[in-house]
Order: sequence, then C-alpha cells, then structure tokens
Amino acid sequence: MSGSIEVRGLSRAFRSTVRRPGFAGALRSLIDPERVTKYAVSDITFDVAPGELLALLGPNGAGKSTTIKILTGILTPTAGEARVAGVVPYQERERNARNIGAVFGQRTQLWWDLPVRESFAILRDIYEVPRAEHAARLREFDDLLELSAFWDTRVRHLSLGQRVRCDLAAALLHDPPVVFLDEPTIGMDVVVKEQVREFLRHQVEQRGRTVLLTTHDMTEVERLAERVVLVNHGRLVLDGTLDEIRRTYGSTWQVRVTLADAHAAVVPLPGIALLGRDGPRAVFGPDGSGAPTVHQALKAVIERYEVTDVAIDEADLEDVMRAAYVHAGPAVEEA
Amino acid sequence: MAVLHAWRAARVTPLGELHAPPRMTAALVRLVVQVVLVASLWNGLYAHAGPTAGLSRDQAVSYAVLAVLASRLRELDQYAGRDTVLQHMHFGTIVYWYLRPLPPARYHALRALGEQVYGAAWALAGYAVCLATGVVRPPESALVAGVFVVSLLLGQLVLYFVMLLLDQMCFWTLRNNAAMLILVFAQNLLSGVYAPLWFFPGWFRAMSAFLPFQATLSVPLSLYVGRIRPADAAGQLAIQAAWAVLLFLLTRFLWRRAARRVISQGG
Repeated sequence: MSGSIEVRGLSRAFRSTVRRPGFAGALRSLIDPERVTKYAVSDITFDVAPGELLALLGPNGAGKSTTIKILTGILTPTAGEARVAGVVPYQERERNARNIGAVFGQRTQLWWDLPVRESFAILRDIYEVPRAEHAARLREFDDLLELSAFWDTRVRHLSLGQRVRCDLAAALLHDPPVVFLDEPTIGMDVVVKEQVREFLRHQVEQRGRTVLLTTHDMTEVERLAERVVLVNHGRLVLDGTLDEIRRTYGSTWQVRVTLADAHAAVVPLPGIALLGRDGPRAVFGPDGSGAPTVHQALKAVIERYEVTDVAIDEADLEDVMRAAYVHAGPAVEEA
Repeated sequence: MAVLHAWRAARVTPLGELHAPPRMTAALVRLVVQVVLVASLWNGLYAHAGPTAGLSRDQAVSYAVLAVLASRLRELDQYAGRDTVLQHMHFGTIVYWYLRPLPPARYHALRALGEQVYGAAWALAGYAVCLATGVVRPPESALVAGVFVVSLLLGQLVLYFVMLLLDQMCFWTLRNNAAMLILVFAQNLLSGVYAPLWFFPGWFRAMSAFLPFQATLSVPLSLYVGRIRPADAAGQLAIQAAWAVLLFLLTRFLWRRAARRVISQGG
C-alpha cells in the first residue's frame, strides 16, 4: 500500500469567545460574548512521498498539531483536502486508522493499570493482527528499543523514556505504512533519544514507512529529516531541504578578525556589514538578503584587509530556525 | 477476531483490579461494612414497628442489602486507573479512541460490559453469603426470580446509558465533576439505594416516575422483595425498556456530535 500523504489547501478554523479583562469585562463577555474565528491552519499544501521522513516544524501554536490531527482523522478541516495512503482520513476514520500509527508527545495510549504486554495484546486484537506476525514484530521492536526489560511492568511504573518507547512500539504493531509523531522525544534523555532516532531511521529505511514528525529538537531534525516543511501562524512558510532552509534563513554568520593595523579604516564590503569595531578587532556580518556565504565573506575580508587572526561564528540549525520563525509568516487571521 | 477484541476490551478494568490487590481488599472491606451497617440500620428501624410503606422488615432489609450489592455492579475504580473519559479528555489521550479501527461508542460499551460482569461476580458472591446467613431472603418463586433478573438487566442497561451521558458531557465541558456529584446523589436517592422509594411521599414518587433512575434499581428490587407483584411486572419492564431505547437513541446521537468535538489539551 502506498504510504503517501497529500495535503491540498488545508484550513481549519476555530471559533472562540474573547475574554475581556477585569470584572466588568468578564461580565460583559458573559452577557454579550464577542466571538472570533481563528485559523489554526490556513491554506496549507504539501506532499510526503512513500518512505519519506518529513519534519513539520514551526514555533508553538504554529498549527503543526492541528495539521496532524486532521491527517489522523481526529479533526475535520474547514476547507481543503487531505489524503493519507489514499484515504480521506476525516471521512473514513476507521479505514484510515488501519493505515496509520501515531504518538502524541507524552500522551500515552497504553492502559495505565496493565502491564505493557497486555496493552500490546489489546491493540493486536483491535487491529486484528495475526499472533505470529505480532510476535515477530514485537521481537523486532524489542531488538531496537529493548522493551523486554520492562514490558511486564505496569505502565504506571514506567519511566518516561520507557513509556514513550512502548508507545512507539504500540503505534507500529499493526504495521501501518504511515506514522505521525508529534514531539515523540520531548523530555527524554539523550541516550533514549538516540535510541528512538535509530528506531525511526530503521522504520523509514528498512521498513519503508512514511513518517511525519513534529519536533522542536533541531538535532533530531538534522539527524532524521532531509526535507522539512515550516509552518508559522497556520501558514506554510517553506517546503524544502535543510540546505535550502539554511540558504534562505541561515546567513546569520559572523566573521571576527584582528587587524594588523589597529587604526586602519574599515568600510563595509558588498553584502557584508561592519557590525562592530573595537581597536584592532572588527566583526562583520551579512548585509541584507543578498549577502554572501560565510566562506565568500571570509575570502573578501582577508583579501581587503591585512589580518593577524580570524574566527567564524556560523549559525547552527537552531539559530536558522529561530531566524525563520521570526522572519516568517503573516499575523493570525481573524474575523 | 471481533470476539477477541471484544474480550480484550471488556476485561481491561477487571484485569487492572486484579493487578491491584489493595484495591480489591478495600472493595471487599467496604462491601462487608456497608452490608452490615445497612442490615443493622433497617433491622433497628423496624425493631418496634410493623410493616411500613407496604414493606415488612424482611422485605425492607432484603431491599436495602440488595441495593448495596447491586451498587457494586458499576463501582470499579476507573479513576485510579486514569481511565475515565474525564481523565482522557484532561490528558488529551481521548484522541487515541479515535485512532483505532474500533468505534469509541463500541469500545466504551465493551468496557462497561466487562466492568458490569466483573461487578456482578462480586455482587453474586455477596448475595450468596447474605442468602446463606439469612440477611437476605430468597425470592418467593422462580417466576419472581426470573422477572427480577430481566428487570435488573434492563436496569443496568438504563444505568449504563445514564453514566454514558455524563461521560459524553466531557466532550463539551471538558469536566463533569459537578454533574457527577449531582448525578451520583440523584441516582442513589431516586433509584432507592439510600432508602426504598416506597418510604417517600406520593409527590416525590410521582416526580421520580418521570426520571430514569427508578428504572435502574428500585423496580428490580421491588420486584424481588414482592413490593411489585409479578402480575404488574410487564408494565414496569416496558417502562424500563422504553427508557433504555430512549437513552440509547440520545447517546447515539451524542456520540456522533462528540466525534466533532474531540479537542485535546494544548497544541
């Protein structure tokens, strides 16, 4: 089955009441409520190919989770259309459920009072997975996530890392071609995070699953995703590779030099701004959107000035995303 | 396979109880204490009085003790298992009910069925002990016993739908604590758990006749103790069935509406 995801012009509006400040305001809101329509997601279009891992990124409240809820069939869009493995998720919820697995952050789908393996058995029967197939898949997941050390423990007694690993396994036990992961590694330690990343890589590369991942962990994005979709204020801002994002928003480099002549006159170079000067030390940075890359800038500075020392500060992906979040997107649409 | 998933879903809460022996011990102690206190209370009340409100002492004690045992049918500790609809709404885990190829309405019903069967095992064990010790008198005839069982089943169905209505309320309000407190009180009072409805004034009984609560326990228990004669049972069973159908239709409608309102906290 093709595990593709197609999203076309997807929008989701929520109506809410404006809470006016103060006692009088609260009273007025009670008598004469002011209703507003807010778009959590507005006209979003993107595709995910079968076997691809796509990172859906954006700041808090950008619309990532709403998008995932629509794609999992939990929410119905106000406008637009989505197909997951050929199924319109919000129209055929049960059919879609067989094609997808999902993990929503620290929210567990396991039964709190039961040992983990009981939860797995319940899901096996709900999804009608043959016992032999279930056992084989459980062995595979155990090899990757080391579940057997605690799968006879009641869920309430598991650590967060253990529970999320179990949740990941639970989401994939029925062998879904498409997996939605909404901040799956939030709050986990680095060792477990790496284990989960390895598991996800295996699921994509070896099992060919399509994964849509949201996360705020840029290390995770760098290690797992080749392509990202960036949303902000409910709108799609960028759909491209990490390199493209770096090229668009990542020019936040700085070139620090120590000049041989402390009194030499320093003037800006084409596309390169002088950010600071303190005696022989000068700091250069990008000037506008047409700025050169850090290496081009370094070459230009060295060719123009005689320097005795040089250092480069280049933005990491987190800086790049910060720049993208700040730069991107119009205000939330209200009516 | 449908039988398998039904079995798995139905046994979730009972299995959780079996994995928590302290909870079972607490339930046992509470049941024994309640039965002893209720039997003592009604025996004491009738010590110097003849038949009251159409009930003899034996009838009143049997009624009160059976009410305690019947309450046990749906008294499992879902809250401790973080498995109430209220908690699923609060923690945002209700979304998983909508991500499985098992409709939430069926899942909820299967879970309740498992709980009621498990609760019935407790109630039956308690009934056997009470019968053996003479605390509860047996039904007058096989006919009475049969009508009582049918009426009790219908009553449990009505009770399930009433409790379901409360759970469904969480989809709109995110909380149902206040409603739950009111309902538990109303259910216990108007179904005759606190005291048989026959002791209440006429206007009160007339009012409660328009509510579903007396269909849950008062009717089957009154049939058991002979306060309602088997000849009058058909009408009562019909009323119970009517409540079950009405509430089924209402809750089915609300499940459809609730599906549009699955909003988890945050994100």
